[in-house]
Amino acid sequence: MSIVLRLAWRNLWRNRRRTWLTAGAIAFSTILLVGWVPIQFGAYDIMINATLRVFPGHAQIQRPGYQDKQKIRNTINNAESLATSLRGSNPLYTGISVRAQGFVLLSSGTRSYGAQVVGVEPKHEGGTSSIPGQVKEGRYLSSIDAQEIVIGRALARNLKLKVGDEVTLLGGGKDGSVAAAILPVVGIFKSGSNDLDRFFSEIPLHTFQNIFSMGSSAHTIVIVGKSVDEQTKLISALNNAISDRSDVIVLGWEALIPGMKEAIKIDKVSGFIFLGILIAIVIFSILNTFLMSILERTREFGLMLALGSRPKRIAGLMMLESALLTMIGLVIGFVIGTALVYWAHVEGMHYPGVEELAEQFNLPDMSRIYPQMKIFNFLLGPITIFVATNIAAWIPILRIRKLEPVEAMRTI
Amino acid sequence: MTIQINKIVVNFILIFSFGLSLPCSAETINAAAIIKAAMDQWRGTTSHSTMSMTIHRPDWERTMIMDAWTAGEKKSLVRVLEPKKDAGNGSLLIDNNMWSFSPKVNRVIKIPSSMMNQSWMGSDFSNKDVARSADIINQYIHTLIKTDSIEGHKVYTIQSIPKEDAPIVWGKEVLRIRDDFVMLEHTFYDQDMKEIKRMLTSKIGMMGGRMVAMQQRMAKLETQNEYTEIKILTAKFDIKIQDSIFTLSNLRNPRF
Repeated sequence: MSIVLRLAWRNLWRNRRRTWLTAGAIAFSTILLVGWVPIQFGAYDIMINATLRVFPGHAQIQRPGYQDKQKIRNTINNAESLATSLRGSNPLYTGISVRAQGFVLLSSGTRSYGAQVVGVEPKHEGGTSSIPGQVKEGRYLSSIDAQEIVIGRALARNLKLKVGDEVTLLGGGKDGSVAAAILPVVGIFKSGSNDLDRFFSEIPLHTFQNIFSMGSSAHTIVIVGKSVDEQTKLISALNNAISDRSDVIVLGWEALIPGMKEAIKIDKVSGFIFLGILIAIVIFSILNTFLMSILERTREFGLMLALGSRPKRIAGLMMLESALLTMIGLVIGFVIGTALVYWAHVEGMHYPGVEELAEQFNLPDMSRIYPQMKIFNFLLGPITIFVATNIAAWIPILRIRKLEPVEAMRTI
Repeated sequence: MTIQINKIVVNFILIFSFGLSLPCSAETINAAAIIKAAMDQWRGTTSHSTMSMTIHRPDWERTMIMDAWTAGEKKSLVRVLEPKKDAGNGSLLIDNNMWSFSPKVNRVIKIPSSMMNQSWMGSDFSNKDVARSADIINQYIHTLIKTDSIEGHKVYTIQSIPKEDAPIVWGKEVLRIRDDFVMLEHTFYDQDMKEIKRMLTSKIGMMGGRMVAMQQRMAKLETQNEYTEIKILTAKFDIKIQDSIFTLSNLRNPRF
């Protein structure tokens, strides 16, 4: 066996240029593949995390039916005590907050706009939403029963409101009564999502419960986990935690924002088509090299056959050559590719078009993509190339079996 | 919800304008004339009524009592009397402009037109109903499709299809109007001509010297256990109403 290996190695370097060119093609594709998948998946991570962190969270506890029809009457009783019992009960939860939501008419002077108003726990909201950190003017809500409101920048502009001005809220309470209040604007946020900035306002939870006659009930309990990867664990932990509350259900982000999952699915498909084309090109280039090399070496094979080598052994030799050649290319490509991805992973990378993506997915600050460092993502490309090239190598190798020693030796 | 409740009331008042009996003696009747006569008759009159409105849901119900004034079809004022929590809330509608007043904040708020046109969330009425009554004559083509008699009354079934360029969300509307101009039924169809919601009169009686639809219920066809029901408690017609009642200052500081 070792003689075959030695032969294969020596044969490879008999035509250095050809070997380097082929190895180079493989290396280049490997760099692309090694880079592409982690970047693609890294981008998804960012989209998902950033979107979920703005407001929806990784999971929410709600009453059944609330997600489809956000009726103010469909509330979780004693929501705060449920949230308190969840807090700290599992290291998977990094943020838990209670929210109540309603649709109101916000009015200032002669101007009025329809808007979503959310009752939040100022102390905990920062753990589940990026909005508290995105207050650009003034400050965020101070306490759970403060009489104050923060609103989106576009909404503030539409209503001609500045920090310190008063805004009138008019809506309907849980019992169908009129919910109305006048609150001073203490902060104006810019979340990066146009919809939120134009349509969104937040007030302290207890203030909300008073205005909307909600008692101690609320609409959602938002949970943020460590990362999207632990989603399954997070959901099952939550389901266990609420098993004694038959009146509520747990919804994961896929159910909360179904559109995002679809968008990612479509993007993945197009990504894989790109990868498929790349791999096909590599395979054809390898196939070409091998075919050339076998045609070139017909005389040599004839001689080996005449000396008593079995076609199988020659085929084995060729396979080994192909494997070695591919490995050289793969190793070079993998090392360079990994280094580049690692650098990007640490530094983050900017690529054009990201702003449009950011807009599309409601992302606040997605100027940089951090590729996902995961073994699967790295090895997916190289393994595919290795398998594909070696299968491709079979096609010319099959020719060897048809060679007649005498005739083969006569070819130039 | 306040806005919505107020709107619902206004809607009802406008819709009601069809439901009230009219002293019309027209013999030769065509479809447009039935509606036009009803509108013209109503437009000249004024009214002051007290009504109860019940919003019913499978797990929830709420009844409000309201005071309402109308002058013609363009002006109306509604004020909540009960429940106590909401007493004093009111809305004023002049043409298609609507203002809302809440004593809790002691402010009059103009309802933006974008919200007037919005479909009314979770309710049995859409905001288009507000515009509808004003538009029903001009924006629709009316056809009398059936005349039958029920309990000694002739009942006209009129199909109203919006004109091509009319800003109407409905595909068509079908009204059943009795020969004394009490509306019995009003069904709304979507653009695919599928029935969406229907208002049914369940009680007709004399009130304020007129034959009136005293009880009407609006429900979506798909969810019959969710409805809004209006009952007229008292009503006076053709009374003298000062124009100053339909003003923002009266909305804010009731003098009537």
